[in-house]
Amino acid sequence: MMLKSTPLLSAALALALAVPAVSYSQERGVSYKPAPPLPKPVYREQRSSMENKRDLNGVWFIRDYNRRFRTPVDTLPPFTPYGKAEFDKRVKAETDGKPYADASTYCWPHGIPRVMNSPYPIQIIQTPGKITIVHEVAHNIRQIHMDQKMPDKVPTSFLGYSVAHWDGDVLVIETKGTDTRTWIDEEGIIHSDQLYTIERLRKTENGENLENEVTMMDPVFFTRPWVKKINYAWRPDLRISEYVCEENNRNAPQAGVTVAK
Amino acid sequence: MKHFLLAAAACAVTLSVPTFAADPSFSGFWKLEGDFATLKTIDGKIPPMNPEARKRYNASVALRKQGKPVPTDTVQKCWPHGLPRLLLAPYPIEVLQDAKQITFLHEAHHMPRLVYLGEKLPALDTLDNNYMGFSVGNWDKDTLVIDTAGFNDITTLDKAGIPHSEALVLQERVRLTDNGQTLEDVITVTDPETFTKPWKARISFKKMPNDYWLKEMVCTDKNPDAA
Repeated sequence: MMLKSTPLLSAALALALAVPAVSYSQERGVSYKPAPPLPKPVYREQRSSMENKRDLNGVWFIRDYNRRFRTPVDTLPPFTPYGKAEFDKRVKAETDGKPYADASTYCWPHGIPRVMNSPYPIQIIQTPGKITIVHEVAHNIRQIHMDQKMPDKVPTSFLGYSVAHWDGDVLVIETKGTDTRTWIDEEGIIHSDQLYTIERLRKTENGENLENEVTMMDPVFFTRPWVKKINYAWRPDLRISEYVCEENNRNAPQAGVTVAK
Repeated sequence: MKHFLLAAAACAVTLSVPTFAADPSFSGFWKLEGDFATLKTIDGKIPPMNPEARKRYNASVALRKQGKPVPTDTVQKCWPHGLPRLLLAPYPIEVLQDAKQITFLHEAHHMPRLVYLGEKLPALDTLDNNYMGFSVGNWDKDTLVIDTAGFNDITTLDKAGIPHSEALVLQERVRLTDNGQTLEDVITVTDPETFTKPWKARISFKKMPNDYWLKEMVCTDKNPDAA
């Protein structure tokens, strides 16, 4: 059926578009702001396996780091009232100069998806049945089971329990069981023990970019699934350095509050 | 047929993990054999420390005997073990290996150790001083020779408290024995500011089942070595 454009219809459409709750399917299709430019490709001679889209081995460095997680249309996540209140509490505490301590403040592993959004290099190592990600930040080691089903019950851990499979040339990683002491971002988006994340990783830009589309589901904190995209540049010129959070921790918390040294 | 070829191609891609038949594979899970809280030389002696180092060592041993915290023990504070102490921790190690890098993932404090293959150790004065130093590895027939330098001087070589300086250089000769069921590591310790001569220790690791999965061991949450 064809609809004639009428001023009334246009007004109704404009109103509908003005409603901030963008649907999940719309959100996934939205094109993101382009990531910052790739570093100069001076490593071309090392591109032995870049044609293989299922070879993610190597060192990658985030291109579009932002401590805040937002949806593709730059809005806050679709919070439940409880989720919004918990977020507001944390933002206010930080504004007041008494930020809540999160897992990273205690030098604990950073949680999923948080650890995938750090301004430090990561090294992906693919071995049979397994993908390992060595993160420079706080020496996080993430382990991902390949081609296994997500068990009905998973043990709780800081980095959760991850299973992955290939969907064409997209690596799909599912994670559950992430410790509720971790946060989703650094600003104050937190989660319950029902957090379920699906990451879709694929090489783009001739293999020099790794795109990670993260979908987050948690009925306690969000009214619907929502997505955030993170891009990493291929950086064979970088190596993982030693990162020691535990020595002279600058932000060691006291009674749950971060204290600057 | 077309489908079969596609499936075969997909499998080939999935299985295209580099394997190098020429070099022995240390890949898998390993666990230290024996108790090396007190590291000794191959012939069972306390290492040849100079008088100053011996004094520090004795003070640490005395405090431990009395069950008191040892202020110089970084592991009690969840700081990295350093080497070779991390190798002496009684927790599993996973080895991931390819032609360019051997990665040791230590369950203890979830510490990674990256060893770059086919490289020379840079001059000592060009290296940063780290807990874990900087490691390069080279194959000598079936033995992997790992050279490590660039240490800080705040860790101890073992739990008992063998000190060391920033001049510490380790050379490990790692090889499979016992039909691939044991990984032997002969460590030569050189540090002229601490020891009167280089000395050697021998440790070994037993192969664990391949379906092991490293546990998440977070010292700052639960420190098994807290005093």
